[in-house]
Amino acid sequence: MGGKVRLLILFKGIVLLLICWSLSGCWDRQEIEERAVILGIGIDQAEPDAEKKELPLAHKRGQLHIPSGKMIRLTVQVAVPGRIPLGPGMGGGESSSGGNKTVWVVSGVGHTIDDAINGLQQRIAPPLFFGHLRVIVVSENVAKNGLVNLNDFFRRNPEIRRMSWMFISKGKAMDIMKASPQLERVPTIYLMTTMDQSVKMGRFPNDILGLFWSATSAKGKEGYLPYCELDGQNNIKIRGLAYFRSDKLVGTTDGVDITLFMGIMGMNPSGGQAYVQVPGKSEYLEYSGRSRKALTKVDIQDGKPHVRVKIMIEGNIREKSDETVKLNHDVIQLMERQLEKDAVKMYQDFIQRTQEKGADIFGFGEHIRSRQWRYWDANVKTKEQWQKMYPDLKVDIQVQVQIRRVGMKAV
Amino acid sequence: MEYPKQVTTIQAAAILISTVIGVGVLPLPLFAVRSANTGAPLVTLLAVLLSSSGLWIVTKLGMRFPHQAFTQYSEIILGKWPGRIGSAIVILFFAVLSSLAAREFGEVVITSVLKKTPLEVTVILMLLLATLAARNDMTTFTYINHLYLPIILGPAILIVALSLKNANADFLLPVWGNEPREILNGVLIIAALLQGSFIQTIVIPAMRKPQNAMKACFWGMFIVGFLYITIVIAAVGVFGPEETKQLLWPTLELAKTTTLPGNILERLDAAFLAIWVTAVFTTIFSSYYLTIHLASRLFGLRDHRMLSLFVVPFLFAMAMTPQSILQMYQVIEIVGKFGLLITIVYPLLLLLVASVRKKRGMQDGG
Repeated sequence: MGGKVRLLILFKGIVLLLICWSLSGCWDRQEIEERAVILGIGIDQAEPDAEKKELPLAHKRGQLHIPSGKMIRLTVQVAVPGRIPLGPGMGGGESSSGGNKTVWVVSGVGHTIDDAINGLQQRIAPPLFFGHLRVIVVSENVAKNGLVNLNDFFRRNPEIRRMSWMFISKGKAMDIMKASPQLERVPTIYLMTTMDQSVKMGRFPNDILGLFWSATSAKGKEGYLPYCELDGQNNIKIRGLAYFRSDKLVGTTDGVDITLFMGIMGMNPSGGQAYVQVPGKSEYLEYSGRSRKALTKVDIQDGKPHVRVKIMIEGNIREKSDETVKLNHDVIQLMERQLEKDAVKMYQDFIQRTQEKGADIFGFGEHIRSRQWRYWDANVKTKEQWQKMYPDLKVDIQVQVQIRRVGMKAV
Repeated sequence: MEYPKQVTTIQAAAILISTVIGVGVLPLPLFAVRSANTGAPLVTLLAVLLSSSGLWIVTKLGMRFPHQAFTQYSEIILGKWPGRIGSAIVILFFAVLSSLAAREFGEVVITSVLKKTPLEVTVILMLLLATLAARNDMTTFTYINHLYLPIILGPAILIVALSLKNANADFLLPVWGNEPREILNGVLIIAALLQGSFIQTIVIPAMRKPQNAMKACFWGMFIVGFLYITIVIAAVGVFGPEETKQLLWPTLELAKTTTLPGNILERLDAAFLAIWVTAVFTTIFSSYYLTIHLASRLFGLRDHRMLSLFVVPFLFAMAMTPQSILQMYQVIEIVGKFGLLITIVYPLLLLLVASVRKKRGMQDGG
């Protein structure tokens, strides 16, 4: 009898130990300082003789037939443990002792993203960790060749967040990785803050990596990304939009097109400004939108889709270039009509430009797929077909501008 | 009286909900969009209706024999040996189902969180936990499920609600999906994810008022269906049907994209996985409990405790059989669809034969 009870206690003890030992999940424990935390990645086209420089790891030299002319150079920003101040109290003298770089920039070449990362890992002691990756910068040249491999790697890796931002850079992505803006200690965090604030101010649409992927995958829509450029040595500026056809970069735009794009999409808040000339005078007024709304309707006319977008903008006057015109309600109404005329022209022109490239970044195709599904199922069906049809799409724009306020000045 | 009769109606519904919600929620939106792209919510709705009708049959049958176990009344209805063979198949099926659930759980964990832990360890731990928990009696079984219910439901609803604000209506239209679509296949696959509802066969005999079983089923299925459909709507609405097709576990990806307001937590996947482990545990626990419970009745054992330890190695071996994660999903689809024959068609057959042969168990009044 006693033996049986003892056996039971022994059994229960073993089970308890087993559970304590295994449920704590310590198999995968990894100390934070034993990780190379990657904050940003820059992807460039590698220089022509890169194949000689690479460390062949997963393949023998010359045996990987992914076109070597399209080899990539990967630059990463690795956080240097201990240098990144955790709070306002930690700044100042102490960090300057061993050089005050908060990040370490390392670069390597490879045929694919992971090939290059493997090469980097050969040179960085602790395991690379992508969980804090916030910014991916891709140079224009690479994006023109397509982002298939890139998107595949980042979708597959479970550490990558869909909340990260991807940028297309004019010039080398590596230079952007090396830049260190003054406002923030960690360069990539600064870039992140730039985008977060732009979204909040309405100066850039919310276009995190996940949304870009959704747009790229969707049948009746194309993706777009912020287009940035190094400004001087250490600053980065947003130039405009970089838009895609499937996964290939087909065009870039100016900053004003960001506002136009957000207008057509009816995105709020509306942070864009526009200058309008008073008819018959040399004076300009600056108009700033506050909120907008866009209604997109699609109907089928004579067997062809016809898109009508009605954009309603409400805003204020912020600035006058001269004093020749006194503001009153009649002038304001006149300006509203003038703004509407100008806006329609600019919107049409922008749509025209994307049509020339066959890149429907507005998602008109999605409207047809979802609302005019009979037409879509009969005539379009695939993304490729829609890319062929988009250039001939008829888009009508109607704009309604309201000027509500003029600031603190009476005239 | 064979069972202690103390499961209330609410507890019965709770058992149903926490049993059905399990590993399946992770790939659910993928299965749905594969079959009908934007029609994914509709496919899910149809699947919920199909499995509700299966559950209706099971409940009708259970209420006809309110004091007997499934194994007993299938012997009464079909005769001794055909009934036993039927029960043996049911038992075998749920054994396979719990082992596959454990394997799927292990795959998710080692892909997304614990990359260095061997698959065997995660799987065997889950099975051992289920085994230890399943050694308890019906009352404890009920309490465990009841206890975990709010922990499973609350955060799941929170994540779905938070992510719905990023959803895009274009991604959900047309409601029936664009061409090409194969709705039937999707309905079967998703209905197969809901097969845990068969647990009702062992809950009804333990209910204090078996006549309320239908009410428990309705509410249980309603809540599960509601959650499943909103998960699909959220995932497809946020990612779009084409992007969802690219993701192995869209629901996990959804949790990764969702932010708590005010940047308290920037990604909810860690929190979500913790809840999901609980949901998986209750599912494996229930189907395991169902397996050994029915098996001990079938073999006429007094106590199911020894049996529970005896079955573990077999479950573990079955869980380790698929060679890769893709093969595992193939197996899950095939086993799941085959399972519909067992959890819906077989009870229907029993019900029909029972009404033709006018077999009926003891009722409360008589």
